[in-house]
Amino acid sequence: MSADASPIRPADDNDPARIRADLITALVLVALGLAVTYFSWTMDRLEVRRIHPSTIPGLVPLILGIALTLCGSLLAFRSARLDAKAGGAALIRILVSWQAVRVLTVLGLALIYTLGFVGRMPFWLASALFIFAFITLFETVLADRPGSLPRTLIWALIVALGAGLGVHYIFGQIFLVRLP
Amino acid sequence: MFDGLILLGQGIAHFLTPAGLFNVAWATLLGLAIGILPGLTATMGVALLVTLTYKMAPDQAILTLMCVYLGAIYGGSRTAILLNIPGTPANAAATLDGHPLAMQGKAGLAMGLATTSSTLGTLVGIFFLAIIAPMLAEAALKFGSYEFFWLALFGVVISGQMTGSDTPLKGYIAGILGLLVAMVGMETLHAYQRFTFGIPALGGGVDLIPAMVGAFGLAEILSTMKRTAMPKIAAVNDRVIPTLREIFQYWKTIIRSGIIGTFVGIIPGVGEDVGAWSSYAAAKKRSKHPEEFGKGSQEGLIAAETGDNAVVSAAMIPTLTLALPGSAAAAVLIAAMMIHGIRPGPMLMIENAPFLYQVVAMLLLATLANLIFGLSLTKVFIKVLSVPRERLMAVIYVLCVVGSFAITQRMFDVYVMLFFGIVGFILREMKYPMAPLVLGIVLGDLLDLNLRRGLALTNGDPTPFFTRPISAVICLIIVLTILMSIPAVNRRVRALFTRNRGGVEAQG
Repeated sequence: MSADASPIRPADDNDPARIRADLITALVLVALGLAVTYFSWTMDRLEVRRIHPSTIPGLVPLILGIALTLCGSLLAFRSARLDAKAGGAALIRILVSWQAVRVLTVLGLALIYTLGFVGRMPFWLASALFIFAFITLFETVLADRPGSLPRTLIWALIVALGAGLGVHYIFGQIFLVRLP
Repeated sequence: MFDGLILLGQGIAHFLTPAGLFNVAWATLLGLAIGILPGLTATMGVALLVTLTYKMAPDQAILTLMCVYLGAIYGGSRTAILLNIPGTPANAAATLDGHPLAMQGKAGLAMGLATTSSTLGTLVGIFFLAIIAPMLAEAALKFGSYEFFWLALFGVVISGQMTGSDTPLKGYIAGILGLLVAMVGMETLHAYQRFTFGIPALGGGVDLIPAMVGAFGLAEILSTMKRTAMPKIAAVNDRVIPTLREIFQYWKTIIRSGIIGTFVGIIPGVGEDVGAWSSYAAAKKRSKHPEEFGKGSQEGLIAAETGDNAVVSAAMIPTLTLALPGSAAAAVLIAAMMIHGIRPGPMLMIENAPFLYQVVAMLLLATLANLIFGLSLTKVFIKVLSVPRERLMAVIYVLCVVGSFAITQRMFDVYVMLFFGIVGFILREMKYPMAPLVLGIVLGDLLDLNLRRGLALTNGDPTPFFTRPISAVICLIIVLTILMSIPAVNRRVRALFTRNRGGVEAQG
C-alpha cells in the first residue's frame, strides 16, 4: 500500500514493532470511535426546542464516531494481516530503550514544572529551576559523552537565570504579555 | 488588472517604513534561526510568536509572522545541507542532494543554490497568489453552506490522503481526530455544549494556538531529545554566491517546481514537505541526469527548495480566500488573523481588499530579506547550528508554556498544550501526520455548521448537497480520492491506464 499511497516519499512500513503498535492503537481508536458513537447517539436531541431532527447537535459527532470506528477497524485488519513476527518483542525493546528513558525524563520534568512549579512560585524562578535541572540531567547522567560537571553546572546556571529573567523582562515588561 | 498592480504597489509602500523594515529584519533572522535549529519547525515558530505579536498592529503582526514562516522554511535547508538532517520537515528532500554536495566540498555552492532557488520558488508562488486569489475569492462568493461543507471535508480528506506516510488510513484517522477535537464545546447552531463532561473550561472548546504549540512544540522537543547523538557539521570552504549560469541552466526545473509547489500549496492542509518531494520526484523524472539524484545533484537540490518555498506563498491562496489553511503554519496564521480582527474568507476581497496585496508585499519583503541574509550571514548561521539542543530545548519548553498561557491567560490552555504535546508525540511516533489533525481542528466547526445549516435550509433534504454543480464536483473529487486510497481500486485503475498505454504503443 505504501508505494501506492506515497510514491514520492520514502516510507518504512515493514517495521514489525510499528505493525504491532499499529494494531494496539487501532484497537484503542475503535474503542474511542464506539464511545463517541454512543455519546453522540445518546446526546440531547433538543426535542423541547422543536429543532429539525436533521440538525441535532450529535449528528456530525455520530458520523465521525462511525468513521473512526471504521478506519480503526480497517487499520487493525491491515496490521493483523501484515507479517509481524517478533513484533511484540521489538515493541517492548523500544519501550524500555535508552531513548524511552530520555523521552520520559523530558516528560517528567515538563510535568513537574507545569503542574508543580508554575503558579506556586514566581514564573522566572520556576522556569530557571526547570531549565537548570533539564540541562544538568541531559549533559551529565543522560549524555553519551558527559562533559565536566562544574562546566555543565555553570552553563546550566547561566542559561537558567538568563532565560528565566529574560522571559520575565522581554515578555512581561517589553511586550506586556501576562505570564503564568 | 491595473487595480491589482496599484494595490500591490500600495501594499509594498505600506511596509517600507522604518518600523516595517525593522520587523522584517528581526523576524526573518528569527525565522532563519528557527529553521536552522533542528527540532524547531516553522509551525512551532509561528505558533510561539503569536504571543509576542499580540499587542502589535494587525498588519505588522501578520508581517512578522509571515517573515518567521518563510524564514524558517528556507533556513531549514542549511541544516539539511550541513548536518544531513532537515531543519524543518519541508527540507527533508533537500538532504538527499544538499548533504552529498557538502561532502564533496561544495557546501557553499549548495547553500547558495538553496538560497536563490528558495527565492525563485517564493516568487513563482507570489505570482500565482496575486493572480489566482482575487479570482478564487470572487468565485467563492457564490459558495453556500453546501459548498463550504464539501470544501471542509475535501480539505481534511485530501490532506489525510496526501500526508499519510505509510497509509492514507492514518491520515484519515488524524483528520477525524482533529474534527472530533473541534466538536468539543459549544456548537454554534443551537448553542448546545457537546462532550464537556461538566468541565466549564471545555465549554469554549479547544483553542487552536495551545493545541498547535503542544503538537508542534512539546511533541517536537520530545522527538528531538529522543535522539542520542547529533551528526557533525560539514565544513564550508567554497563561495556561497552562485553564478547566474549555475542557477538558470535549470530554469525549466525552477519553473516546473514552482508550479508544482503552487499546486500543492493551493490544496488545503498539504504542506511544504509534499511540495518539496513532489518537485524533487518530477525533476528526477525529467532530468537528463537522473542517476546523479541522491549523489549531489544541483538540479535535485534546486527542485526541492523551489518546491517547498512556492508552497508557502501558494498556501495563502486558500487561506485568504476560503479560510481553508493551505498548510499547518497557515492554520496558525488564520488563528492569528482572527485574533487581530482580520477575517479571512470570500468576504476578504470586499471587506479588506488591500490586505491580500499586503500579504503579497509581506512575502516579497520576506523573501528579499531571506536572500540578503542567506547569502551574507553564512558564518553566523553555522554558529546557530552548533547551539547544544540540551540547552535550547529547555528554553523552548518555557516558551511553549508562555505561548499557550498568554492569549487567554488560563492555565487550562497550558494543560491543553501538555495534552496535545503528549498525544502529538505518540501520533508522530506512530507515523500519523499532523497536518490533517490541525486541519480537522480548524475546519470542524465549518463542516459541522454548514452541514446542519444546509439541512435546516432544505428541511432535512440532502439533495442540494449533490445536485448543485460546484457541490457535485467537490463531492465527486472526495469520493474519487477515497476510492483511490483503497489499494485494490488503485491497482486496478493504474493497471487500466498502463494497459491502455501499452495497447497504444503496440498499435503504434
